[in-house]
Amino acid sequence: MVRRHAKGLFAMLLILALALVGCGGSSTPPAQSGGGTPAPGPSGSEPEKKLKITLIEGVANDTFYISMARGAREKAQELGIEVDVQGALTWDVAEQTKVLNAVIAKKPDAILIAPTDRKGMYAPLKAAVDAGIPVILVDTTLDDASIALTNIASDNYEGGKEAAKALAELVGAKGKVFTLNTKPGISTSDERVRGFEDGLKDFPEIEYLGVQFNDDDTTKATSVTSAMLQRNPDLAGIFVTNQIGGMGANVALKNAQKADEVKMVEFDGGPDQVKALKEGIVQSLIVQKPLEIGAKGVEVAAAYLRDGKKDFEAVVTTGFVVATQENMEDPEISKYFYVAD
Amino acid sequence: MEKTARGDQSMLPGAAEGAQVSIWKRIFGWSNFWILAVLLLLVTVFTVLQPQAFPTFMNARNIALDTCVVILLAIGATYVIITSGIDLSIGSNLVLSAVVSAKVMAWLSGTPAQIRAGEFPNQWVAIPIGIAVGILTGMAWGWLNGRLITGLKLPPFIVTLGTMTMALGAANLLSGGVSIANVPPVLQTAVGMKNLFGFLPVPILITALIAAFAMFILNKTRFGRHTYAVGSNTEAARLSGINVNRHLIKVYAVQGLLAGMAGVMDLARFNSVSPASHSQTNLNAIAAVIIGGTSIFGGAGTIGGTIIGAFIPTILQNGLIINDIEPFWQQIAVGAIIVGAVYFDQLRRRNRK
Repeated sequence: MVRRHAKGLFAMLLILALALVGCGGSSTPPAQSGGGTPAPGPSGSEPEKKLKITLIEGVANDTFYISMARGAREKAQELGIEVDVQGALTWDVAEQTKVLNAVIAKKPDAILIAPTDRKGMYAPLKAAVDAGIPVILVDTTLDDASIALTNIASDNYEGGKEAAKALAELVGAKGKVFTLNTKPGISTSDERVRGFEDGLKDFPEIEYLGVQFNDDDTTKATSVTSAMLQRNPDLAGIFVTNQIGGMGANVALKNAQKADEVKMVEFDGGPDQVKALKEGIVQSLIVQKPLEIGAKGVEVAAAYLRDGKKDFEAVVTTGFVVATQENMEDPEISKYFYVAD
Repeated sequence: MEKTARGDQSMLPGAAEGAQVSIWKRIFGWSNFWILAVLLLLVTVFTVLQPQAFPTFMNARNIALDTCVVILLAIGATYVIITSGIDLSIGSNLVLSAVVSAKVMAWLSGTPAQIRAGEFPNQWVAIPIGIAVGILTGMAWGWLNGRLITGLKLPPFIVTLGTMTMALGAANLLSGGVSIANVPPVLQTAVGMKNLFGFLPVPILITALIAAFAMFILNKTRFGRHTYAVGSNTEAARLSGINVNRHLIKVYAVQGLLAGMAGVMDLARFNSVSPASHSQTNLNAIAAVIIGGTSIFGGAGTIGGTIIGAFIPTILQNGLIINDIEPFWQQIAVGAIIVGAVYFDQLRRRNRK
């Protein structure tokens, strides 16, 4: 009896394993068939092996990284390079290391990665470099980024300053404001906060209530914002440092019916944030350019691998656009909004 | 009675036949056999699909390294779950222990100015003390869990759900919420990333030794027998003279001790500790125990099964990535294996009755 069931279970797992493997198999052929008719390499008649690079996202389920992946894929297709996108399911050093180690085993020609910790990801990435795989940092960075070819990112500090200016304008340069940040210790969002706090120094009549964390969790972002609204009925403004926080803060403001009184400036341009901008819950979005970050990352990889370029600037910054209700229909602005697939 | 509580060969259907049990039955009845078969199947499939990338020494070593921390936590969780308890706080306890350990190391290594300059003059004193304090922190937290569970007579799920958040809060308070980076680098070069004899990473060796010791304790000592006895029938255990509360406190302290060790190991490997990390590690460890055939109803389970159970998700993830498969499939696959494993455990129990 048990044995029969056990066989059933075993069979189920076998089928599952094969099904999964089957999925992988079917997803690779297009890329392989592309490589099946080798185009002559740029250097001459010798058929060149198709370059393969892997992009490791900071976390797998975020439209910022999905947009970055799209930018990388589009550029890669243009240059005849194959891109595989991977990412851990949580923002976590140990989890990202597992993903990175599997990618190292695959020996791609280059790795593009958004490291989840400035310090903790150094040793795992050093191992990749030691294994002969060039590393390009996209979005987030390391304390010691010298092992990477370059770091391509938004100037998060400047973005934070810009947010301070925008929020000060919206609240009339006075009143209480606070920052809703994700998790502590993330290089990009910490820089945004630093820029925002420095930016506020030009506005002495603004009372700054400090930073609250939402652990990158929409529900927690909602409850933290609601609590701050309870505690400070005269709250004038909120600076939100990323999408997840934005989604939560938007809901909290709606619930409290304070969307008219409390002004909000948010980092990023995710679909929910754009919707909230249209509805007038958010007044201003500091939108990064993930498509450009992804595309530039692939360009750097191609320049290094194909053209033998060695010297890259340590940091390449991509700018950002400030989206408001007035300019959001402008295609020059809306083309930077993040995509979900 | 005591033997049936052991959980190994004795629970298989053919066991009643005693000496006449064929080798065939013994192998197929061995409670870990199917889960080991799943592991081997995964390895075989990935090897066939990616003969160049998957079955390399480097990759195997990385998989083992990536699994060490979960194995340490899961060894403790095996003990706890055999007593029909649960400890949800292990991930936060790991982070707290690592933060305390890092703080102590930074504090004893030299003056703040020296450390800012990257010098750690007293590191050879600071590192051992830091390691010891980190491990003791973990043990103290585990002991606290045990005291609260037995003293307040609250379900372990509730107590450790509470202490899980408390430990994370304490870690955030101590670290200011940011990752602690001023840890002596030699901790990483001499322990975390060190390969003995040029090939054997220190964390893997330590984990293997601890696993062997934990196996010995569980199978060969009174402590192990009492752990099974408390889990299979608390009342009977009490009547037979076991001080159940005291034993439970010890078991939770052991779990805490292992979480402390895992924290120090994590610190050594990454040379920093981020309170934002390890939010899922507790569930990964508990999943390893369940996949490895330990019954959530208590009374049965093995360390060997747990170790296999810890490797399955890591190997699955590694192999799926090497095959360029989207990350979300990993969740589906691991979840399916957990459900399958528990279903099989239920069948086995029903059959025993």
